[in-house]
Amino acid sequence: MTADLPGNGAAPARLSLADPRLESLLAHPSIWRAGSAVRAPVWPSGFARLDECLPGGGWPRSGLIEIIPARFGQGELRLLLPALAAITARDEARWCAWVAPPLQPFAPALAAAGVVLTKLLLVRAPQRGRRSSVLWACEQALGSGACDSVLAWTRHAPARQLRRVHLAAQRGNALGVLFRARESAREASPAMLRIVLESRAGGVRVTLLKSRGGVRGAFDLSWASQRNRPSGSP
Amino acid sequence: MSAPRTLDLFAPAALPARRTSPARAVVVPQTTQRGARASDAPLWLGIHVAALVAEAAGTVPQTLQALARRAQRFSPRITLAPPDGLLLEVRSSLHLFGGLEGLRRAMAEECAQLTPAVSLAFAPTPLAALAGARTSGSFVVLTAAQLTGSLAPVPLTALRWPPELIARLACLGVRTIGQALRLPRAGFAQRFGAARLADLDRLMGRASDPRACYEPPARFRRRRELSYESTNLTLLEAALRPLLEALGRFLAARQCGVLALECRLWHRNAPPTGCVLRLGAPLADTQRLAQLLGERLRTLRLPEPVRACELRAGVPVSRVLHSAGLWQPGEQGGLAAGSDLDLLERLRARLGAEALETLALVPDHRPEAAWRVVAPQADASTRPARQAERTVPLFGGAVRPLWLLPAPRLLRQRGGLPRYRGALRLEGEPERIETGWWDGRDIARDYYSACDVYGRRLWLFREREPPHRWFLQGVYG
Repeated sequence: MTADLPGNGAAPARLSLADPRLESLLAHPSIWRAGSAVRAPVWPSGFARLDECLPGGGWPRSGLIEIIPARFGQGELRLLLPALAAITARDEARWCAWVAPPLQPFAPALAAAGVVLTKLLLVRAPQRGRRSSVLWACEQALGSGACDSVLAWTRHAPARQLRRVHLAAQRGNALGVLFRARESAREASPAMLRIVLESRAGGVRVTLLKSRGGVRGAFDLSWASQRNRPSGSP
Repeated sequence: MSAPRTLDLFAPAALPARRTSPARAVVVPQTTQRGARASDAPLWLGIHVAALVAEAAGTVPQTLQALARRAQRFSPRITLAPPDGLLLEVRSSLHLFGGLEGLRRAMAEECAQLTPAVSLAFAPTPLAALAGARTSGSFVVLTAAQLTGSLAPVPLTALRWPPELIARLACLGVRTIGQALRLPRAGFAQRFGAARLADLDRLMGRASDPRACYEPPARFRRRRELSYESTNLTLLEAALRPLLEALGRFLAARQCGVLALECRLWHRNAPPTGCVLRLGAPLADTQRLAQLLGERLRTLRLPEPVRACELRAGVPVSRVLHSAGLWQPGEQGGLAAGSDLDLLERLRARLGAEALETLALVPDHRPEAAWRVVAPQADASTRPARQAERTVPLFGGAVRPLWLLPAPRLLRQRGGLPRYRGALRLEGEPERIETGWWDGRDIARDYYSACDVYGRRLWLFREREPPHRWFLQGVYG
C-alpha cells in the first residue's frame, strides 16, 4: 500500500518514501489515492483479523456493502453481530432496520449478543410485489436519516437499483448490508465491499471480492477471535 | 352540506316568532347603543355575489359556503345571508390588512378566485352593509353618525322586502330608505307591520341585530369529478392534488392534523375502490400526505378507469407544532425532527400497517414464548435505550441460535438420527427445556446443536415423549 509510487527511482530530484516533503505533498486534498477510503469513518467489526483487512479498519459507516454466503445461515449474521451490538447500544443510536429477513430473528439470542432490541425495526415485505418492495424499503430506510444500519435479504438486485440504494445510504449516512445469493457473486455491483463467506470448522472463510480502497484476498476467521464477547453470545 | 348549525333561538324557523315579539333578549349588543368609542363599534363587511341564486328554498349555495370558508382568514365572525350575501365583522381585523383599503383589496382577490361580479360594502350594521353591497360597489360608512345620510338615497328594493309592499310604498311616493325613515313610526308600524319597522331599526342600529355565526364543517370531505376516465396513477395523483391542497387549508385553519384519510375512487360500473391511509401521528403537511397517499394508491388494483375521486378525512386532531431542524438530514448531527416517524409512515403506506414490527423479550424459558412482536414506537430510534431494555437474558451458559423457524419443522430420521438435506452431525451436550403447563403449551424437549453437510449449525430438538420425533427449530446463522 505504501510502496505504490511508480518511477520514484528515475525522478531527477529524488524523493525517498521516508521524506517528509512527500507526505505533505500527498496530503493535498486534490490528490486521491487508492487508500483514501481509509479516512471514511468505520464501525469496528469486532474481529481483529477482519478489521485489518477491511478498508479503514472496519465496516463503513455510510454506503452499501454485500455479504454473499455460500448458503443462508453460514455465519453471515454472526459476522456482523458485534458491530450491530455496538451500533445499537450507543445513546444516540438510530434504527437498525431488517428488511425481509428470511426467518424470524430470535430476540433472546440477539439481546444476549448485546443488540438493543428497541432499536431493531423489522420490515416485512408483502408477498405481492416482494422483489421490488425490498429494495424500495431499503432505499427509503437508508435515505431517511432515521437509520444507522439497514440489513436486507434479497435475491433480486439489479445493479441500477443497487446504485440507488448505495446513493441513499450515503445520503442518509447509514450502513446498508445486502445479503445475496451465491450466484450473484458474478454480477456487477456498486457496493463498496463484497464479501463471500464459506463455512469452516469453528469459523468462516472470508473472501473479499471487492474492497474499495482496501486489499482483496481470502482468509480464515475464527469465531473465538471475537473481541469482548458477551457471555451469552453464540 | 347543510345550513350552518345555529342555536334554536336563531334558527330560521324561529325567526317569525322573534320578529313579532319586539321585547326579546339582546344577545349581541350593539355598542353604538352603549355610546362606546367608534373604534370599538362593530364594522360589517357585506359581500353581494350577483351570480348566485338559491337552488332550493332554505339551501345555501356551494359557492357561498366556499366563500365563507375562505373568508375565515379575515374574521372570526362570519354570517351567511343566503342566497347571495355574506357578512363579516371586520373592525378588529382592519389593522391586520393595512386598513380598510388593504382589507377590501385582499377580500376582493379572494372572492375573484371563486366567482366574478362581487361587490363589497362597509357599514356599522349588518343590514346596512348588505343593502349597500346590493346597490353599489363603493358603499363605505364607518360610523353610525354617517349612516342616515349615506343610506337615504338607497332604494327600498335593497332591503328585499316583499314586492307588493315595495309597490304600496311606491304609491305613497316612498322609494328610498331616507323617505321611509321620515314616515311617522307609529303609522308605519300600523300600516306596514311592526316587523318592517324593526327592520328599519336594525338597519339604522337602533335595535340589535343578533346573527348566527357561520360554523365550518367539522370534517373534511370533498369530491371531484374527473374530466377524463383513467387508470393512470400519475394522472390520478394530479387530480387529487387540489383536494389535498383544500385539505391542507382546512387543517391549517384549525391548526389540526388528520390521523386517517380515505380516498374513494368511483368507477362507471364497478363499486368504488376505497383506500385508507392511517397515520402514526396527526399530519397536516400536504406534500407528505400526497406522498403517502401516492404510495398507498400504488398498491391498489383498479377494476375500471376512475371517473371521480373523493377525499374524506377523519376527525381533525390537534397536533403538536414544532420547529424544523436547523441541519439538513445527513449533515453533522442533522437528524431532521420526525424523520423516523416519516420513515415509519412511508413504509406503512406502501407495505401495509402490519409490515413493521420490533421485538421485545418475554421472561420465559421456552423458545417460542421468550419473545413477542411489538409495534414500533416513533421515538424509539432517537431515545436512548433504558436500562431495562438492555437486560441480557441468561441461558445458563447455553448458546441460542440467531434465527428461529416460524414453526418447528419435522425432520426425517435414519437409525434414530435426524437428517436434513443429508446427514447431521450432532455437537456438544443436549440441553433440556421442559414444562409450560400454566398456559397449556407444555413442552418436553432435548435440544441439540448439529452441523449439516454445508457446515451450517442448526438447532434441533428431540421430543422426550414417544415417538421421539426430531424437529428443526433454529439456525445459528
